[in-house]
Amino acid sequence: MKKCLVMIMTAILAVSMLAGCGSSSKETKAPETDAAANEAGETAAAGEVTTIEEGVLKVGMEIGYPPMEYFDEDGATPIGFDVELAQALADDMGLELELVDTAWDGIFAGVDTDKYDVIISAVSWTEDRNNNYLLSKTYVANAPVIVVPNDSDIADIQDLEGKSVAVQMETTADYLVQRYVADGLNTDLRQYEKVINAFDELKTGRVDAVCTDSVVAAYYLGDEASNYQNVWEADEKEPICMCFKKGNDALKDAMETALDNIKANGKLGEIATKYFGSDITADLD
Amino acid sequence: MESLQKILVWLPQLLNGTKTTIIITVLSVAVGLVLSLFLALGKMSKNPLINKPCSAYIFFFRGTPLLMQIYFIYFGLPQFNPALTIKSAFMAAMIAYTLNTAAYLAENIRAGIQSIDKGQYEAAKALGMTYGQTMKLIIIPQTIRRLIPPVGNEFIMVLKDVSLVAIIGLSDLTKVTRAISSSQATALVYIPAMIIYLIITALFTFIFNKMEKKYSVYE
Repeated sequence: MKKCLVMIMTAILAVSMLAGCGSSSKETKAPETDAAANEAGETAAAGEVTTIEEGVLKVGMEIGYPPMEYFDEDGATPIGFDVELAQALADDMGLELELVDTAWDGIFAGVDTDKYDVIISAVSWTEDRNNNYLLSKTYVANAPVIVVPNDSDIADIQDLEGKSVAVQMETTADYLVQRYVADGLNTDLRQYEKVINAFDELKTGRVDAVCTDSVVAAYYLGDEASNYQNVWEADEKEPICMCFKKGNDALKDAMETALDNIKANGKLGEIATKYFGSDITADLD
Repeated sequence: MESLQKILVWLPQLLNGTKTTIIITVLSVAVGLVLSLFLALGKMSKNPLINKPCSAYIFFFRGTPLLMQIYFIYFGLPQFNPALTIKSAFMAAMIAYTLNTAAYLAENIRAGIQSIDKGQYEAAKALGMTYGQTMKLIIIPQTIRRLIPPVGNEFIMVLKDVSLVAIIGLSDLTKVTRAISSSQATALVYIPAMIIYLIITALFTFIFNKMEKKYSVYE
């Protein structure tokens, strides 16, 4: 009798867990169907775009990439250029903002599987990304740079020959160095999950250089300006844009309109100056 | 098939990562096993100067996540004292996995030793053997047979846990898989990766089974 009771309770527990899993699927509205409705009107209002969750703009971001997106001293409040940009855009569009903190190496898969509407996480424009996803126009200028200690004799990417360089994995800096390695540059490429780890390695002397985005380098050099320097900037600029699921033109157009709006009313310039010291969002091609 | 072609292209990188995975697993379990024997004996000792530190060690390494241990040993220590910087990520990984494995195995060994019946100790005492001789000649050889399933188990767990080394920049099989998956925007690469893990697990399970048969001759 007792054994029976235990078996029945276990069965009930198991079934209710399965039921719980089943009911958590959200209503995914097809964004493409709203393309026609969005043609009229300059301002992107909440009623004209469909997001995964109505009234909410879900933004995928890797919160750990200062100064673009990172946590404040309390370890819980997201701050950064992208964070404030996303808030400004959501405000302009009349949507509530929800940040979905996602590890970088799964962040693109997430927009495809509707975990969030858009990625605003210092996503650089690349041919590959443009082919597989929908990228918006640029919102901030950027290029890969190499950061070395002040006493280093590295002045160019070719000087990494025989040395080691740290990158955050799956970033454009990572791909850039890999391209040079494929072309014959003999350098020890160390890949880390977070960009701060790459800088830690530079600090402890385990690597000779770090290759990262100029915006990130600016932040780190701001703290330890006396010890490190920017020595080389790639010719291939990597403008930063927003990344959508392929086909989600409606939302992209709406957000680009919002971007234009906050540029026009000065909000974007204000955010840029706060984080970069000057408005690097002006004069973008 | 196009998929098969892609997999063949990825195979060299995957095997490179596999090499790192296997080396770290085998070395850390081997060294960890030796360390754990001393820890187990230490914990069973009557002398508090020995058994307290051993217990504390086991408590610490079982009580904190392996991920934190790896991260702390590699990135954390230099922040406390630059002299504690471990230059090589591989060395740091070896240290972390060895210390961690030793803690878990120590408990397994202790269980194995304590499962040998008291009659063996009494017979050894009757023959005039010291504690050291008893352990070395009588108890531990018998324990080995009992240890093979738990140690085999730990080995197979460490094999998967090695995937954590990605945070200190080492390229093990899982990291290589994720890198390929991310840069090629495909999940297809997970299939050969999982198959590789299964092959390694099957291989070592076979080896452990053979060992168990060999040591069970007297049971």
